[in-house]
Amino acid sequence: MRMLSEMKKLLAVTASVFCAAATLAVGHPAYAQAEPIAIINAEIHMAGPAENPRTIRSGSIIINDGRIVAVGANVTPPSDEFRIIDAGGMPVTPGLFAPVSALGIEEIGGNDEGNDRRADRGFPLSASLNAEDALNTSSSIIPINAAGGVTRAYTTPDPGGKLFGGCGMVIDLSGSIDPVTKSCVAQHVAMGQAGANRAGDTKAGAIALLRYYLNEARRYSQAPEDYRYMTNVSELTIPDLEALVPYVNGEKPLLVEVESAPDIRRLIEMQREFGLDLVLLSAREAWMVAEELALADIPVIINPLQNLPVRFEAMGATLTNAAMLQQEGVRVSFYDSDIGYTHNLRALTQLAGNAVAYGMSHKDALAAITLNPAIIWGLEAELGTIQAGKTADIVIWDGDPLELTSRPTTVIIAGEEMDRTTRQTMLARRYLDLSRQDLPIAYQGE
Amino acid sequence: MIDKLTGSAGIGAALAACLLLVGCGGEEKEAKADKGEVQSMLTNPYPSTYERYASQPTLITGATIYTGTGEKIENGSIFMRDGRIEAVGPAGEIDAPKGDIVTIDGAGMFVTPGLIDNHSHLGVYPSPGFSSTSDGNEATSPNTANVWAEHSVWPQDPGFTRALAGGITSLQILPGSANLFGGRAVTLKNVPARTAQEMKFPGAPYGMKMACGENPKRVYSNSGPSTRMGNMAGYRAAWIDAQAYKKKWDDYLDDPEGKDAPERNLKNETLAGVLSGDILVNMHCYRADEMAQILDMSEEFGYKVTAFHHVVEGYKLADKLAENGICASVWADWWGFKLESYDGVPENAALIHAQPGGCTIIHSDSEMGIQRLNQETAKAMADGNNLGLNIAPEEAISWITSNPAKAMGILDETGTLEAGKMADVVLWDGDPFSVYTKTDKVFIDGALMFDRQNPEISPRTDFEIGQLDNTTTGGAGQ
Repeated sequence: MRMLSEMKKLLAVTASVFCAAATLAVGHPAYAQAEPIAIINAEIHMAGPAENPRTIRSGSIIINDGRIVAVGANVTPPSDEFRIIDAGGMPVTPGLFAPVSALGIEEIGGNDEGNDRRADRGFPLSASLNAEDALNTSSSIIPINAAGGVTRAYTTPDPGGKLFGGCGMVIDLSGSIDPVTKSCVAQHVAMGQAGANRAGDTKAGAIALLRYYLNEARRYSQAPEDYRYMTNVSELTIPDLEALVPYVNGEKPLLVEVESAPDIRRLIEMQREFGLDLVLLSAREAWMVAEELALADIPVIINPLQNLPVRFEAMGATLTNAAMLQQEGVRVSFYDSDIGYTHNLRALTQLAGNAVAYGMSHKDALAAITLNPAIIWGLEAELGTIQAGKTADIVIWDGDPLELTSRPTTVIIAGEEMDRTTRQTMLARRYLDLSRQDLPIAYQGE
Repeated sequence: MIDKLTGSAGIGAALAACLLLVGCGGEEKEAKADKGEVQSMLTNPYPSTYERYASQPTLITGATIYTGTGEKIENGSIFMRDGRIEAVGPAGEIDAPKGDIVTIDGAGMFVTPGLIDNHSHLGVYPSPGFSSTSDGNEATSPNTANVWAEHSVWPQDPGFTRALAGGITSLQILPGSANLFGGRAVTLKNVPARTAQEMKFPGAPYGMKMACGENPKRVYSNSGPSTRMGNMAGYRAAWIDAQAYKKKWDDYLDDPEGKDAPERNLKNETLAGVLSGDILVNMHCYRADEMAQILDMSEEFGYKVTAFHHVVEGYKLADKLAENGICASVWADWWGFKLESYDGVPENAALIHAQPGGCTIIHSDSEMGIQRLNQETAKAMADGNNLGLNIAPEEAISWITSNPAKAMGILDETGTLEAGKMADVVLWDGDPFSVYTKTDKVFIDGALMFDRQNPEISPRTDFEIGQLDNTTTGGAGQ
């Protein structure tokens, strides 16, 4: 089965040479969709434009050449060449989009040999690291998460010993050998306590260092020749300094790990001072500065379950963080800082469901794991809602997508239906019957 | 459990009644050993001082009840009085007692036993997580069977309050997994308290934490063990010591007249307690092949593994675990954080359950997960059902109620909704296996300890009181 799907992908790559260039705009190879698809009898969530997605109680989605061709209550397949998938009235959503993860750069969390997520403390380079250079397109975790309904993920390196971790990328989870949707999107920065740990054990050190580096990067962009004979500026190498240039004036966003309300306020001041484009990560006390964040148009990626005072910078952690941010008009997305970060991205629906339990609307919670990551990473023209013209990342569910017992029945990435057989499903099946057979279990497969 | 506690040390029955933690249930305090009594491995110098809190006779009517025994009662009622469950059954069959009782209309709501987590580090790895509060791993020697988790438990850990709001009424606090022998575990009632003793579950047997695989060999890679065979050699050497120690004490206690008591050794006291069946072994293990080695070792030295913990490869050895009557305490879907957890599958819990006699427990090992054991169970049940295993919610609820109670030796007292048991009860505002459902009320020994409808019945720790505004943060349910 796996072999077949690999073959299909190879054929698709070959075919892409002859195929329309439309999808190249998103930065992923244009696959020739094997067959056009029409999903009928679907309860379509997040349908329409990013500004105003709505639910269509019963409708159809027409997919061709990797794109959504039409969507609506009165839409019918243009010809009988379209393969019909009857959703049976079940919910259909845009593919889940993990706003942050280490997908493809971490196979095993706890072992260096299986993990390219962050550089060791003593390693000289930081901001100039590019997750794409470490991307393992063969990672077993990619198809496992795709089977769980995740179709896109932002993959970022973490800061190692320095404030900066390097830049991340958006990838698709199709299993393609070239899955990068958008390269080098944002620079990962540790601030708050995490920043302090990398800057003389004081938050003041982290702010001072960030400001110093941003100023230096700006100066470098104006007069690189002044730096010709230098190898370092403080702990940053010249390649790191150069890598920071697009962030200084807000050309690209900084993904900043931060927790407390005062620390967030400080960052908002720096945003004004430099004209930065900021995305906040973790932000347990973001609800306390929700109005200011909304005014500054700064989105936050939070774990909505964080409710413990793990540090003094998180005394305000609460289960209502998501709902209160949403209410003030802050753009919110969800991530799990624990096992759901990379290996278990299906946890996104559980996070969203819990956000609903603590006051968010179902629609907003679903947007937080589909549309909002697309907006945060600048891909809302292509992804995030089910709209004609967009890339066809679509999931059909066997129940409310945010419920614990619901699972995808069909996962489509860029128009291609995914094989939901994974290493995990094969392992579970192979050990379903433990009785002794004529040959060992290792001879059993699917 | 009680019949397991017949240690070979021949101490008098009257003393044994409490020192062996037998028959000391309910609100009675455990007695300290009398002065002059032998401080053997069976004494308990840190007895529970838990006393149940005030309660009103309470009747919940018209709710869907999962009893924890595999039963589901639609339109059921439960009556609690004086800390105990008096009656459970279909609403029509429960005689509503007359007089001054609290009646709760449970229409549209669900009732389950109080949830039990048999793998928690609350109190020993508390919030805030400072190096000065990191008290869960005595990572100074591969054998620290001499340490007791209760001596690290900080009762002010805010995590206890969050777990309470998640329906946790009892929990086992384990030392970490850095060592081959991590030390003694302690079972607590999840009541806010000034001291760990005030939380100790009366009559609960002790547990002991052991660890397989990557953790010990990584922590001691310089001094050893640095390999899995080194791990095994380390356990075996310790058991050989403990056997000799136990024999010395058994001989002495058989005939103490005119002899000096042997010297006490805290490590061996705990290990000998395992060998005599008084202390229950909780074995952190991921891989199937390692568990098979541990099973042989337990036969070599004549002890029993009560529960394997984490067991991401439990599905590969589910038949052997069931045959040996060993519970497997697992996460719903954690995997891949270490190489030894790379083969984890979300159907693991269900495949272990599906074996005849299989005993699945969903544990948290996390201050976050412990707040939502019901959700983790729902996921694991659904994954099993997608594989065709046909697991009903009334069965799956046992993974976080009766099965952990069994593995902690407290099933006689809690873990199911049956007349006579401790009234550890959760009222849910909907199906506990829905993501949108929250606890409404949590009773421990019949006392209302958390009420989502009443902010006054919601504990706040000393650490959090007066911080920020306390209306949005810093309490159970927030």
